[in-house]
Amino acid sequence: FPVFAQQAYENPREATGRIVCANCHLAQKPVEIEVPQAVLPDTVFEAVVEVPYDLSLQQVTGNGTKGPLNVGAVVILPEGFTLAPKDRISSELKEKTKGLIITPYNEANPNILVVGPVPGKDHQKLVFPVLSPNPAENKNVHFIKYPVYVGANRGRGQVNPTGEKSNNTVYTSPIDGQIVKLEKSDNVTSFSIKSKTGDIITVKVPFGPDILVKEGQTLVADQQLTNDPNVGGFGQVETEIVLQSPARVKGLIAFFFTVILAQILLVLKKKQFEKVQLAEMNF
Amino acid sequence: MSVLKKPDLTDPKLRAKLAKGMGHNYYGEPAWPNDLLYIFPVVILGTLACVIGLSVLAPSPIGEKADPFATPLEILPEWYFFPTFNLLRVIPNKLLGVLSMAAVPVGLITVPFIESVNKFQNPFRRPVAMTVFVFSVVFAIWLGIGATMPINKALTLGLF
Repeated sequence: FPVFAQQAYENPREATGRIVCANCHLAQKPVEIEVPQAVLPDTVFEAVVEVPYDLSLQQVTGNGTKGPLNVGAVVILPEGFTLAPKDRISSELKEKTKGLIITPYNEANPNILVVGPVPGKDHQKLVFPVLSPNPAENKNVHFIKYPVYVGANRGRGQVNPTGEKSNNTVYTSPIDGQIVKLEKSDNVTSFSIKSKTGDIITVKVPFGPDILVKEGQTLVADQQLTNDPNVGGFGQVETEIVLQSPARVKGLIAFFFTVILAQILLVLKKKQFEKVQLAEMNF
Repeated sequence: MSVLKKPDLTDPKLRAKLAKGMGHNYYGEPAWPNDLLYIFPVVILGTLACVIGLSVLAPSPIGEKADPFATPLEILPEWYFFPTFNLLRVIPNKLLGVLSMAAVPVGLITVPFIESVNKFQNPFRRPVAMTVFVFSVVFAIWLGIGATMPINKALTLGLF
């Protein structure tokens, strides 16, 4: 859940470049980002995050039953870029972003947008409406190329923010020993494992993962007690976007025209001079 | 190219030069002024337009500030170091890895001394040199692509 990151981290991108979602969503899966190569200042454009996965997959839900996967994403835009205000979004873009509640990460970072969890079957493509800044108004923004960092996830996390495992991960035996008791209560399975020195350690596994061991079985340390039910995963990518000045583009087009004109005139002058050379037989 | 000068084959000096495989600048299109004065500026302007167009439309990005206490998730050197970087990380013995990196410039230094063993310039008459060259180019590109992949695909590229 993005809210876990919002509560725990001021900035979702760590100094190493890792996006903090990866602290709970341990599996790695591919994601894609699509932004325009360049945008003009003070314009609304769309950043499309794709979270591809097999729609027939089912994941373990919080109470241990099976259910469809959810998706979520975080887009870390350059400073100054913000979520487009409602009145500036075109009706076409409104249609594409229907059902997505996109919010800024926190008040200090209006350039970081988060969304999710939303049902993945309707939202394998997450469209973010973004407003580009205007360097004339915001002195911290310049007409240069900026990096855009994206993280996106499908499926539930493997670790809770408290550090405990969720019911969407694999459980292993902490020690060598034997299972003396295997007890099922309302939503946990308790394994009592007797070590070689005679201590009894209890491992509680919430409902969700399938149990692979039986009562009386001997275990080695780190042996799997359950299967790994996780089908989702988190991925991060980065791309670049140019904040383009309209004056520069106009100037460039004018420059290209003068260059082409100069080249044509040079070739014509050469053709004319060649006639002189041929007429005078002087070369 | 309508203005073409014919070689003056009655000139013994030119004939002597041609016999040695030289003197080809004495005939054909005149360099001055046809080429140098008119066509060179066309090419110079075209190059300038390409460079300025790219620098306006795709400016070079400003990278992140370096932080000596935070190792980036993916460490990769400049692209031209990819093949040797891959050698260094797949060879388990680091001394051997460093030696394999040093072997690249050392091997290139020996080329001028051993390439004259075969007196021909034509690549098709230098089969050994060409085989070594083509093999090293393919090997370097292969290792370079492998450097961008996870370590378990560094040599196979995940193909087999």
